[in-house]
Amino acid sequence: MIDFEEELSHYKPSLEIEAVEDAIEKNDITDMTDLMMELIKERKE
Amino acid sequence: MDYARRCQLIANGYYNQGLEKARIRDLSGAAECLKKSLHFNKYQTDARNLLGLIYYEMGETAESLVQWVISQNLQPEHNRAEVYLRRIQGKPGRLEAESQNIKKYNQGLSHAQSGSDDLAVLLLGRVVEFNPHFVKAHLVLALLHMSHGDYTKAGKSLQKVLQIDKNHPKALWYMSIVKSHTGRAEVERRKMDTAFSHKQMQDDDIILPPSYKETTGWLTIINIIAGLLLGAAVIWFLVLPAMERQLNQKHNLELTGVLEQVNQKNKELAEIQSRLDSMEEERNSAVTTLQDMETNEENVIRQYERLVQLLKAREGQDMNTVALVYSEMDISLITDPDTAAVVAEFTAYMDSEGYQILADMGNRARDGGNQDEALGFYQKSLNVKGDNPQVIYDMAGIYAARDERDQANELFGQVIMNYPGTELAELAREARGY
Repeated sequence: MIDFEEELSHYKPSLEIEAVEDAIEKNDITDMTDLMMELIKERKE
Repeated sequence: MDYARRCQLIANGYYNQGLEKARIRDLSGAAECLKKSLHFNKYQTDARNLLGLIYYEMGETAESLVQWVISQNLQPEHNRAEVYLRRIQGKPGRLEAESQNIKKYNQGLSHAQSGSDDLAVLLLGRVVEFNPHFVKAHLVLALLHMSHGDYTKAGKSLQKVLQIDKNHPKALWYMSIVKSHTGRAEVERRKMDTAFSHKQMQDDDIILPPSYKETTGWLTIINIIAGLLLGAAVIWFLVLPAMERQLNQKHNLELTGVLEQVNQKNKELAEIQSRLDSMEEERNSAVTTLQDMETNEENVIRQYERLVQLLKAREGQDMNTVALVYSEMDISLITDPDTAAVVAEFTAYMDSEGYQILADMGNRARDGGNQDEALGFYQKSLNVKGDNPQVIYDMAGIYAARDERDQANELFGQVIMNYPGTELAELAREARGY
């Protein structure tokens, strides 16, 4: 059985159109290739 | 193989998985794969664009915009995201309405979380009415219905979610609970049991097809009638409309052909009319030129006749006639050099003395009370020699006497302006009342 209150608390507000710009700025698009490159660079140093 | 290349291959693999899942409408699964693909290669543009599409399909317009804008920034050229963004931003009214709808969902969620269930159901109902693909709104709505024990309504909302996203984990979980409360789970279990249960057939078991029935005489007749009716219905509903369509198509083609012919004929007619207008214009132009030439010819002859009159009058010392005839001549039409020399003699005479003869004739006419004739002589005198303030003043005097103030004032004005400081100017000034 579902605990209604608990289940409902999992839902977060949907991203609003006005917040898109902010979301794009905060979006971390670092990928595995970036991380690898960083590791290789650190190792070389 | 270097790390970057390996990452690209893994990213491609996840993208392919995501694409496969998206094709069978497992949107949640596809989104997970695509996110993984992007973790390995952020430049996997197709994965990012598809992720945006999935968000859009699930009603998350803002999330889709985020993905497409990032995609466009990472790959500005030849990017499908540009098309998506242009389509969304091309309808600002629609985007604004989407924005309001998302806000309404957030309000509904807030009301639900604060216990105002009725208000939340109302708001979320409107949200899914505006955007039937808003998965989250359907889920919260289903949850609210479930909490009120309204499992049928909850089931409908969840059904819609599963139509959009077949394997949505939460929707599947909620649906299992809904089914267990509505008895639907038991029905489905029995169906599954029936479908997949097998028993060993015995030698004397007979399999009767479900449609098999013994037929009687009456039943045969009824079947024949039913067959005839069915045949008639097929002809009425299938054959006749097809024939009608075919005939309509044929008529349309014929009509198109006729219209094309009419258009062609109209074009030809317009061309002929245009040529006719052009020829008419040329003809009119030629006629006008001919008339001008004839008129000009007549005028030239008339000037020579007047020249003869001039010569005769001079021979008879009739200088009044000389002045009058000369004043009516158009000497520019006499172009023959010898004759022009004769005309020049008369012109010199008129410039020195002849103009005054005309002015005197004007004075006499005025004194005799014939003002129109006087004005005519004065004008002829001025035509020969315009720089004659006395004649201008005398003309003004006649107009003033006739109470034609506008003409009088204009001529008095000419005397005042062009001959300042003269006696006539003073007289003119007085006449104007300065």
